[in-house]
Amino acid sequence: MIRLQDVSKVYRTDRIETTALDGISVAIEKGAFVSVMGPSGCGKSTLLNVMGLLDAPSGGTVSLDGAPIRGYRDREVAALRNAKVGFVFQSFHLIADLTVADNVEIPLLYRSMAGAERRRRVAAALERVGLTSRRDHFPTQLSGGQQQRVAIARAIVGEPRLLLADEPTGNLDSQMGEEIMAVLHELNQQGTTIVMVTHDSRLAESTHRTIRLFDGRQVQ
Amino acid sequence: MCSTLKIALKVLLRRKFFTFVSLFAVAFTLLVLLVSVAMLDDVFGPQGPEDRPDRTLVVLKAELSGEHSRRNGWAGYGLLSRTLPEMPGVERSTIFAMPRKLTTYHEGRKITCFTRRTDGEFWKVFRFDFVEGQPYGDDAEAQALPVAVLNESARDRFFGPGSAVGKTFELDGRRLRVVGVVRNVPSLRFLTFADVWLPTSLSRSDGYKKSLVGDFAGAMLLAPGARAADVSGEFARRVGTVPIDDDRFKTLSASASTLFSAVASFFVFEGLDSKRPGVIVGVLWLLAILFMGLPALNLVNLNLSRILERASEIGVRKSFGATSGALVRQFLVENIVLAGLGGVVAAVLTAIVLAVLNRSGLVPYATFTLNLRVLGWGVLLTLVFGIVSGVLPAWRMSRLHPVGALQGRFE
Repeated sequence: MIRLQDVSKVYRTDRIETTALDGISVAIEKGAFVSVMGPSGCGKSTLLNVMGLLDAPSGGTVSLDGAPIRGYRDREVAALRNAKVGFVFQSFHLIADLTVADNVEIPLLYRSMAGAERRRRVAAALERVGLTSRRDHFPTQLSGGQQQRVAIARAIVGEPRLLLADEPTGNLDSQMGEEIMAVLHELNQQGTTIVMVTHDSRLAESTHRTIRLFDGRQVQ
Repeated sequence: MCSTLKIALKVLLRRKFFTFVSLFAVAFTLLVLLVSVAMLDDVFGPQGPEDRPDRTLVVLKAELSGEHSRRNGWAGYGLLSRTLPEMPGVERSTIFAMPRKLTTYHEGRKITCFTRRTDGEFWKVFRFDFVEGQPYGDDAEAQALPVAVLNESARDRFFGPGSAVGKTFELDGRRLRVVGVVRNVPSLRFLTFADVWLPTSLSRSDGYKKSLVGDFAGAMLLAPGARAADVSGEFARRVGTVPIDDDRFKTLSASASTLFSAVASFFVFEGLDSKRPGVIVGVLWLLAILFMGLPALNLVNLNLSRILERASEIGVRKSFGATSGALVRQFLVENIVLAGLGGVVAAVLTAIVLAVLNRSGLVPYATFTLNLRVLGWGVLLTLVFGIVSGVLPAWRMSRLHPVGALQGRFE
């Protein structure tokens, strides 16, 4: 599904050079549920951003579906993200001005798709996360768990094959966290490849495989 | 585009305070511009008697200059009578005086009115709306017949609201017979405006006939298909052949141009070549843009400050496939929708302000209207305002790095 070959990421400012990732080589197979663990600042989120084509690596190669990504031109990576990748963020990042349905619809707005088809897909995604009755609510009217479920609906509405979740339960209590994990496992069983960053070893144990990072290097 | 519009409206409706502040700035700016456009339209637009500006060339200004002397002002009858007749490419031409304020007494009442002396062709070059009667013709001018055309206001003041044709009144020591009554012409239409029109030959003396600089103007109605540049060129050639019988002056200059450039050159931009209306239009646009500049900058600042507020949204949209171009489009559409709403508010306010101005009598017989032409300019100005104030913030927002935007960093 996605392969990273000797990937590094270095952030440079005027005086400081910070190595966030150093020689990472990882292959995520189709249908896998992989967790990424490590202490704060070890490069977990950076790894996820590189996998999701949100950030270009400083060195090495990222291949998606066997095709290496070159150039990282805005239009091309935007199209790849739209078609193949879905994101779930720790702090949900729902747009407060838009209703639940409008938030979920966002990835479809950047495809040439008829309005009726968009509405059908939004309804299907909301049904999968059990929030059909909340479609016209605004994010601030929902609980944390419900907001994260909206974020998951938004991530899967475009039917991406790769779902990248950055601490999806980090802002939730344990019960809501379990609900979200249940949704993610169900999606994985239905064929979605998932890479999830987490601090929680219990959640990591429930995935197929765990990648451990320390100071930007892969230790396991 | 439909969904972009929908999102734009939702964003504006949800952010009521921002929308209110922005709308106020946009609406007030556009209000001032629309009122200005409506006034310009009242002066220059194709309406009233001057309904064929594209086919009309006018001669307003003349100048005599010599080594030590210079005299300029309205054109003189002598200049116009030597240059306008039988001009190739011209269907009709007319020579008429500029309005003059006169006071008279009628049945014990003091009446002040503006009079204008014209030839008979005046009524064919300019098309007045006759309420009753008809214009006087060339015979009245040739025979100095004591006739006059009144506007409705003058008719009411002299005779009351009934029919006036055939009735007489005294003006400037002559008794005149009314042959026609026309609808009021706004005073800003300074080629045609008057309360009373009468033949030029009714002047007390014929000294005016020789003057090269005086208080007259000329207008030419171009024949269909004739080129204005050719007629202007021929007029300039003829001006060069007019003899100057005053030793103090060596050169006579005058030009035939459209009403817009002639007026702009005469009043607003004296010294500019009236044959270059493009420069004048450019200057007017520059003034409009400068006037829009301050509120536009204000809106730019407001929008830029909202980048912080909308960083997460930008990050999310980019994460899910929005290109920088799509985001520029979205933010521009939002700004144009805002400007559009401001334009609607401004149009309503403009209609109210114009109605108040028309009723106030500040500009006699003013008929400032929010017609389709003015509205068209309003739409154009609104679009310019929306785009000018939206481009920079849209571009800045679209350039944000998705990861930085999601984390609230704006490098």
